[in-house]
Amino acid sequence: MVAYGRHPCHRRNQASKTNITLTCRLSKPFYRATVNQECITAFNDLKLSKKYKYIIFKLSDDNKEIVIDKTGDSSEDYEVFREALMNATTKSRSGQVGKGPRYAVYDFEYQLASGEGTRNKITFIAWSPDDAGVMPKMIYASSKEALKRALTGIATELQANDADDIEFETIKKTVSKGTAA
Amino acid sequence: MAQQPLPSSVQPTTDMYGGDEVSALVLDPGYSTTRAGYAGEDRPKQVVPSFYGKINYDNGTRDIFGDEVIYPRANFERPNYMNRDSVVEDWDAATRLWEHVLIKRLQPARATPAIRNGLNDRGKNDENGDVDMGEGIEEQEEGEKPLAESPLLVTEAPWNTTKNREKAIEIAMESWGAPAFWLNKTPVLAAFAAGKSTALVVDVGCANASVVAVHDGMVLKRSIQRSPVAGSWLSGQIRSMWDSSDPKVEVVPTFMVENKKPVEAGQPAEARLKKFDFVVPESFRAFEEERLLTEFKESVVEVWRGPGKFQGPNEDFVKSQVGRVFEMPDGYNQMWREQRFKVAEGMWDETAAYPPLGGGEEGRVQKGQTIPALIKASLEGVDADLRANLVGNIVVTGASTLLNGFNDRLHMELTAMYPGLRIKIHAAGLSSERRFGAWIGGSILASLGTFHQMWISKKEYEENGAGIVEKRCK
Repeated sequence: MVAYGRHPCHRRNQASKTNITLTCRLSKPFYRATVNQECITAFNDLKLSKKYKYIIFKLSDDNKEIVIDKTGDSSEDYEVFREALMNATTKSRSGQVGKGPRYAVYDFEYQLASGEGTRNKITFIAWSPDDAGVMPKMIYASSKEALKRALTGIATELQANDADDIEFETIKKTVSKGTAA
Repeated sequence: MAQQPLPSSVQPTTDMYGGDEVSALVLDPGYSTTRAGYAGEDRPKQVVPSFYGKINYDNGTRDIFGDEVIYPRANFERPNYMNRDSVVEDWDAATRLWEHVLIKRLQPARATPAIRNGLNDRGKNDENGDVDMGEGIEEQEEGEKPLAESPLLVTEAPWNTTKNREKAIEIAMESWGAPAFWLNKTPVLAAFAAGKSTALVVDVGCANASVVAVHDGMVLKRSIQRSPVAGSWLSGQIRSMWDSSDPKVEVVPTFMVENKKPVEAGQPAEARLKKFDFVVPESFRAFEEERLLTEFKESVVEVWRGPGKFQGPNEDFVKSQVGRVFEMPDGYNQMWREQRFKVAEGMWDETAAYPPLGGGEEGRVQKGQTIPALIKASLEGVDADLRANLVGNIVVTGASTLLNGFNDRLHMELTAMYPGLRIKIHAAGLSSERRFGAWIGGSILASLGTFHQMWISKKEYEENGAGIVEKRCK
């Protein structure tokens, strides 16, 4: 029979008792999909050793696990990243391929308008194109918390739903709160 | 939902159930209709009016659910099991109607009819408690409850009361024997179905218009704003408008008309009305009138798209334009020009609303009740840093938002209110996605294998009692 009501944190935090109560109190109803360890490793590589410029994450085909879709290093142009998001696809249960949402982390770098140098902001983007199907949109929206919690050190988070939302300038404005040159 | 057979190598484990094979049910009760269906489908299989049918006999009553066999009778009433707050009021009736859609219509037929009125289990405080759907009640075997294999997800208004929430889980667990249960607030489901976990949800339904901010999948309690300026209020405006127009337009529902002759526009109707040798109950007539008003809303009423308010020069402009003709069931027909905009204008501008019929204060639009006012109040209730993000992620849902021009006007009003901010409105193009937004969200959520870890299980309910619903379903 199905194991209902078994909260993921019961399994994950069996080692530490204090942790259980803490996570459970904080947990939200939609914190569900598990995050593959490679996501966390890659994120740390981006954060600490600047190995990547960006990471795009997706849900595995059975929607149970968040895995890496694509990574890119700083030699790549921003447009490559944007194209990758816009061309992302997902397979529906009946096997049809349509537009797909994604999660992404991008290490934004911008110049301050005041001339005080450059700043870096690790930005989390929840990409959910308006023309994607209801089903994938729903699944991605409700699973986002799991990934966000697993990645520590995100400076800004934004939600993007169409091509304009992920223009470099649009994001720069949001991320820098208007202080960029 | 297609039941795909599992390949033999992938057997479900007891640890976690990842497949979609669980036949969960989703129930979305509203003031106008109650929606129910199987999780994973893209629309509800059952859509029945929440105004159910009730026949009063000398020795009891009988319920009629759905739209079949509805004709006027002396003792036939159409009460609603919900109140104007879109919260269940009559739990006896609610249970019977829900059993009708969830068990009778959505569960496979059984040799022993699994109709067991949940209310018989606890104190017979109602004289109608024993009467079921007019069929013989056979005692069923203990331990074989009707929903023993179907987890149930029920939607609720964000202002639902603790008592009501506990009652819902009690019925699902004890009367129906559901293995798992979940309650979900409608704005969260509507936001998720639009692919957003942070959004300002504008939901204009039948009894309530509400604006609720959702942040990271949680309803922000201080942002909840609502008013009765919704579909059923609009019906009242149309009645006022018909009543005050010259000549006065009589509201004659279709069932009263025996035959009619075509007449010229604006001429009195030439129709023979049916004679009933009994008094048609008021609630029955009101429900049938509502059908006519709905048709008028769908085909004639339009929201002034802006710019600016409708009153003033815009009204004069519309007067010079061609209107729309509407024919009443009794044959009376007229062209509606400025009036068709004016009836919906009270949603945006309280000074433009028609006074309610009867002249009382009840039903009059107050200053803070218009849709722009609700949005403003809702945004003022949340952290200032969040506002820009919310205005950029507005999700519009509810059947009354399907009024022509609604989204254009909403955009116009918001641009005027928040000139510096980027405003983006997300409204599903398919009318069924707008009407059943919350149901569809619930359907997807309940069909996800991973979501099943979140449900409140029967065991948890037995250990903690009904109070668990307050702790878990935030």
